[in-house]
Amino acid sequence: MARVVVLGGGVAGHTAALHLTRMLKRSDEVVVVTPNSQWNWIPSNIWVGVGKMTSEQVTFELGPIYRRKGIGYEQALATAIHPEGDATHTSPYVEVIYTDPTRSGQHGELTYDYLINATGPRLNFGATPGLGPDGHSFSVCTSGHATQASAALKASIAKMKLGEHQTLVVGMGHGTCTCEGAAFEYAFNVEHEVRQAGVRDLADIIYLTNEYELGDFGVGGLTFTQQGFQTTSKLWTESLFRERGIRAITGAHVTGVEESVVHYEQLDGSINTLAFDFAMLLPPFRGVDLKAFDKSGEDISAELFASSGFMKVDADYSAKSFEEWRAEDWPRTYQVPAYPNIFAVGIAFAPPHQISRPRKSPAGTVIAPSPPRTGMPSGIMGKLAATNITAMIDKGDAVQVRSGSMADMAAACVASAGSGLRRGSAASMTMYPVVPDLQKYPGTGRSVKDTFGEIGLAGHWIKLALHYMFIYKAKARPGWHLIPE
Amino acid sequence: MDHTADDIAAAPLPTSKTLRARSSLVIQFERFLAINLKMAKIIRKEHH
Repeated sequence: MARVVVLGGGVAGHTAALHLTRMLKRSDEVVVVTPNSQWNWIPSNIWVGVGKMTSEQVTFELGPIYRRKGIGYEQALATAIHPEGDATHTSPYVEVIYTDPTRSGQHGELTYDYLINATGPRLNFGATPGLGPDGHSFSVCTSGHATQASAALKASIAKMKLGEHQTLVVGMGHGTCTCEGAAFEYAFNVEHEVRQAGVRDLADIIYLTNEYELGDFGVGGLTFTQQGFQTTSKLWTESLFRERGIRAITGAHVTGVEESVVHYEQLDGSINTLAFDFAMLLPPFRGVDLKAFDKSGEDISAELFASSGFMKVDADYSAKSFEEWRAEDWPRTYQVPAYPNIFAVGIAFAPPHQISRPRKSPAGTVIAPSPPRTGMPSGIMGKLAATNITAMIDKGDAVQVRSGSMADMAAACVASAGSGLRRGSAASMTMYPVVPDLQKYPGTGRSVKDTFGEIGLAGHWIKLALHYMFIYKAKARPGWHLIPE
Repeated sequence: MDHTADDIAAAPLPTSKTLRARSSLVIQFERFLAINLKMAKIIRKEHH
């Protein structure tokens, strides 16, 4: 009998737990440790943020699903990993603090044979003074945040209906943020709602981003074929901004948010301010506060975690210039080299470097999107870890495990540009590979054949279908495993 | 110097025909099937 502990119940962790319980023997045990009692289909939070969906439509309770599937569930926050055990434990274990109402604040210990770290990000609003729901801007990172953003947006629209001009700022709250796609979606959904409300002429909508140019999306932009020409996501995105009348400020690092004013520095060295009536600015991510200790109790956190707090896995973390970056730098199995029974997947693993070319302002401020590793790649990594752990349990730790580098991984994403079965639209995109491989695909680093983008109502229908399909899958309804990650 | 505003102003603007096509139920139903097929191909590549 083996016990697998999964830290985190988001896309990566939940996917891993469901596949593990499907693939392992009944005598094996799967335990999920997550501080939140709910699962959230985060891609639909942007619709909650404009009032098109409720928080209840994008979340559900994890407990009943885990009871039905025979998965152990501890509503708790993991605080420390002891990968070698210690003087009183012969097995590796994880320290937790319970967050469920009946045991809130109590400490616990969970031993494991295999561990999956899928803890996701800590929303680091503190990196920018005044950023976030506790400061002066809104967020759509959680369904609760999105509900708050929706109420504030509604208030802005109400003012416009009374003839008051409003400046709506949407974008990234720090120079190293990721998830530019989500901010892009929210900007266009806000524009769509304001237009539908008949007050578009009273709204100045501004997209404020750390991307060097529009269409970068943290993946260095895309090149694809359209109507017989190779075009770029830059031109394609700029065209959409022109069509919808949204202004954009690129290469920006937000240094602070005050009541109705955002301060930012740009790559050209300029220091600027922007007055706003409503602002949704995403926070940068960092790893959760998780420590690691060896058998003697010595703190080995620096060996297991990068300075960003994300877990170091089988990647090449040596410092290299952009020109020296290679596809091979990216992890293949997501195992921690010193402890092959520990995997880190989804946002929790430390990427070896950015995907977009990193840039600095003349003052030395790094303004570079962090690599996205959410959504489809996250689910694929979760399933990969589950598959490999199952093989290791069945055939021994020396088994040849499967690999799945983001430099050999495809991604399909649909970015909403407005909701509505008749009036909605979205940009449907695919890319292969996610991390460009210039050796394999000289020029753009990606297969032009497998990379495409298209805007239209069909994209909205696809995004809506994905919403229902992935919630069905996450609820482990009959045939859930046939739905791909 | 941030050239983004100039770049947006110079970007191609879709014609009314393109905009109609992007919201036409008939055309978009065909695109819905076509895009799903493209994505299924990408996903198959991913899972094999």
